[in-house]
Amino acid sequence: MKQPITVLTPTGTLGYGFGADALERGMSLHPHVIAVDAGSTDPGPHYLGSGEPLVSRLSMKRELTQLIEAGRAANIPVIVGSAGGSGSRAHVDWTVAIVREIARERGLHFRLAWIYADIPHDRVRAAIRAGDVNDFEAGYELALKDVDEAATIVAQMGHEPICAALDQGADVIIAGRACDDSTIAAFPIWQGADLGLAMHMGKILECGAFSAEPFAMDVMLGTVHADHFVLEPGSLKRRASVKSVAAHSLYEREQPYVHAGPGHEVDLGDCTFTAVGERQVRVEGARGRMTGDYFVKLEGVRKIGYRSISIAGVRCPTMIARLDEILDEAKRNAHRYFEPAKLQIGFHVYGRDAVMQRLEPSRDQVAHELGLNIDVVAADAEMAHAACHQLSGALLHWHYPGQFNTSGNLAFPYSPSEVDAGPVYEFSIYHLMKADSPTELFPGHLENL
Amino acid sequence: MTQRTVPLSSVADIIRSKNAGPFRITLDVLFSDPARYRRVRDSGAVTRETVARAYGITQQEITSFFEVDMANAIKITLRRPRTQGAFGEGDVYGCQQHVPLLGIAVPEA
Repeated sequence: MKQPITVLTPTGTLGYGFGADALERGMSLHPHVIAVDAGSTDPGPHYLGSGEPLVSRLSMKRELTQLIEAGRAANIPVIVGSAGGSGSRAHVDWTVAIVREIARERGLHFRLAWIYADIPHDRVRAAIRAGDVNDFEAGYELALKDVDEAATIVAQMGHEPICAALDQGADVIIAGRACDDSTIAAFPIWQGADLGLAMHMGKILECGAFSAEPFAMDVMLGTVHADHFVLEPGSLKRRASVKSVAAHSLYEREQPYVHAGPGHEVDLGDCTFTAVGERQVRVEGARGRMTGDYFVKLEGVRKIGYRSISIAGVRCPTMIARLDEILDEAKRNAHRYFEPAKLQIGFHVYGRDAVMQRLEPSRDQVAHELGLNIDVVAADAEMAHAACHQLSGALLHWHYPGQFNTSGNLAFPYSPSEVDAGPVYEFSIYHLMKADSPTELFPGHLENL
Repeated sequence: MTQRTVPLSSVADIIRSKNAGPFRITLDVLFSDPARYRRVRDSGAVTRETVARAYGITQQEITSFFEVDMANAIKITLRRPRTQGAFGEGDVYGCQQHVPLLGIAVPEA
């Protein structure tokens, strides 16, 4: 590394916003790259399954426009990882189309690269047969049946496919599913920065100014030197503190001392955090090393059917006192009514235990008014709607002993009282697969705009 | 003599829960004062056993328990009772599962 490398990360998730003043001030510090994460499994399995983007097209276009214009004005690359939310092909294509539109409308010319992260089902089947797939945290070995059932499978890329795009002179890189820290660390590593320091910095920067105080979806900068890195928020209204940065090192991950990524591990056991002035924190001590085999994490979802829900309030104390037995019986009746259709019927009871369910220690402290969410998943949308309506209607007019109010048990806030929520997916693959090389699974494409 | 106790929420600065992938929930207890952190760490009040009791789960459902000196933090990770976003699951981000920690009794200073 010839010189310290500064990365500007505008926000924790592209499309969730950042301050224009914070970006302007951040750019005045002459970063060498703008790098940002745009996705995660955090919003759940829907986006990977359906191909629907996580954020609105309006937000994505607005923020990409700001970043690409800033990047072009400073002649530095803009790197987006896990494009669209899940980083699937549909999400990469969606983001690339927006970038093309921005270039056309703004009269910008640059080299665009995009990298897919979808893994063909046959590639995963071959890996299972070769014994190259291990469980990560799913709790079961991956079977061929899981692959057959999967709607979409992606893998988290490391920094290498992004570095390959930089090798080819890309100015704007839209990467599919990528390790969030690798997205941020790719450019510094490409410039020769230490792997461990760049990855640790990437892990903290990937959430934007969530590692600052007060925290927010906002601009954060990191500068990696030969033996340490320094963090600073873009906005002068925020500061990085030893507490905020150390706390963020723990965020959203189980292991505090070892961060494993594709083909590498970072040991944080000897890290130290030191305040520099009022607004900066200096971090040192991360030690990175490449692992022998190169494993990538697969993420896959399967479709379990279609959902309809109905939301209602329950206020009458006599109904609240008997709620469990009434719900159980209504559920049994609905299963019988729609036989042989297979239904999944659930009730979320807000004001009691909808949030913590089995982990709720205060289940007996029932509120005076309950929110009931009737949740039905069936093989097709028509059946889900029919069953949800049957349930809400049956519960509305349920007769039970001791009833004072015979005119209706549920207070519906909406008409219609049912909402059809579309296809439903669940995570079915969360496993590690051995790759032949860091780039074989992640084909890159180039276009001069 | 019985030592007087206070709830963990009165001595810790951040008590939070969050997904750590779709199959785990990780709980962080952070202290801004290193002395308070060390006192709670050394008191034996926050352990796999007391956390399991607070949540009504078995210790086998706790996948890891760390005392993280460099962050003045205690970090506990649970196996999710239901996979994130699976049918019936009620907290997609896993960010409202911290409450039983608030009341764990720790020794008064």
